[in-house]
Amino acid sequence: MTPALRGVTLWRVFARTFFLQAGFSPEAMQTLGLLYSLEPALRELYPDETVRKEAVRRHLSTFNTHPYVAAGLVGGILFHEVRVARGEEPPDTVRRFKQTLMGPLAALGDGFFWRSLRPATGALAAALVPLIHGWAIFVYIALYNLVHLWLRGQLFWLGWTLGDGIVGRVSAVKLPTWGDRLRTVAAACAGALGAWLAMRFGLHVPGGWGTPLLSFGAVALGLVTVALVENEVKPLWVMYGLAGIAFLAGALE
Amino acid sequence: MWSRVLVTALWGGLMALERRAFLQAMLSRPLVASTVTGFLLDDIPGGLYVGLVLELLHLGGASLGASQADHDTLPAIAGAAMAAELGRAAGTHSTQAMWALAVLVCLPLGPAGRVLEASLDRRARKYFGRALTAAETGNSQKAARQNLRALWPQFLFYGLCCGASVVVGRLMATGLGALPLDLVRGLAWAYPALATGAAAIAVQGSHARHRFLAAGVAGGGVIFLTLKAWYWGAP
Repeated sequence: MTPALRGVTLWRVFARTFFLQAGFSPEAMQTLGLLYSLEPALRELYPDETVRKEAVRRHLSTFNTHPYVAAGLVGGILFHEVRVARGEEPPDTVRRFKQTLMGPLAALGDGFFWRSLRPATGALAAALVPLIHGWAIFVYIALYNLVHLWLRGQLFWLGWTLGDGIVGRVSAVKLPTWGDRLRTVAAACAGALGAWLAMRFGLHVPGGWGTPLLSFGAVALGLVTVALVENEVKPLWVMYGLAGIAFLAGALE
Repeated sequence: MWSRVLVTALWGGLMALERRAFLQAMLSRPLVASTVTGFLLDDIPGGLYVGLVLELLHLGGASLGASQADHDTLPAIAGAAMAAELGRAAGTHSTQAMWALAVLVCLPLGPAGRVLEASLDRRARKYFGRALTAAETGNSQKAARQNLRALWPQFLFYGLCCGASVVVGRLMATGLGALPLDLVRGLAWAYPALATGAAAIAVQGSHARHRFLAAGVAGGGVIFLTLKAWYWGAP
């Protein structure tokens, strides 16, 4: 019987998942990164070159998911590959596992990490700038990575120990509910910071009697921005428009 | 100046990798990358306030499925480097007018960075082709290694762009020094407008269900407290 993977190999595979998108291309997407992650494990599980060639071929079909939750998929792939190597499962199980889960997990990861956790921690750190200045970046990195690295490690371990059972465990965490709350935090922090920036820089800008009005002008421009962006005007043009109006007001003051 | 070009290029190349190819621990987010650029170029306030605007502007941006978001790291590092260089030329730390100028010049680097990323992605096809060939010959190690080869072009191209921003900043300093005071004041006024606009874009990009209520309550509270402190003295 082929032994289970050594601890050091599991660590190597996990560490390599951090390079999942290094060789990203439009057609293959993360396939090269997946192969790179799995390679140490495949070499250990299949010492025979011919069998290993077949195993490598299984992982050359297009793979694309969220880069963090991919750790769970990689763990699950190893779970199945060990059983395939022992002859307990047909090779097709691995392919099915991958194809079935990469889409739903990508949606879950995009919604939680990209659309919720990142905006919330980013806006919170930005809102802390008035209080703790440059130290806010450490809050950003610490808060974000506490969740990111913990979940990434957990997902890998769950995939490795439970295989398909990872689905039940991930849905029990209720990431979408947490995502809703985090998005509200992001909106509140951005609103507070926008108001602070308008007040702080408006009231202290060099100029005459008109300068306090700049604060309220900036707040008004913020409200106009919301209306414009809601109506799908490109943010880049909005930014140039705002700068142009403020520039003219300042130059003519 | 060339040592600053080199430092910025190395930092920019590394952060371009961190953004997507490796780790993704948010070190390359505008607020972080820009502040560290400011630290490296001895102008932390410049880096912090350029990064703040760009962080808010790109807060809701995410590459989902086939759609790619604008590059947020490139304008942040280039903007911080330009602001620092403008300040250095003036013999001080960068000012509000310089931050506004740096942000305005670097805003188009977001879409430009996205185009560069897409072209480098297309170039990465050849590494996948080589991996397929290696896999067919049974050399799984060589096949896997192709993944890392795609890192070099990204490091190189983004590093070059970031390094060039120091030179552009130096060139811009001459022009800024010759501007009449009225126009410099105009630039200083542009900063709060840019910052508030970016915050409004961040509120919209948060996709929260009650985003306007949350932002309105928080923003209103801050305005009230700031005015209270301004008129009657801070507590």
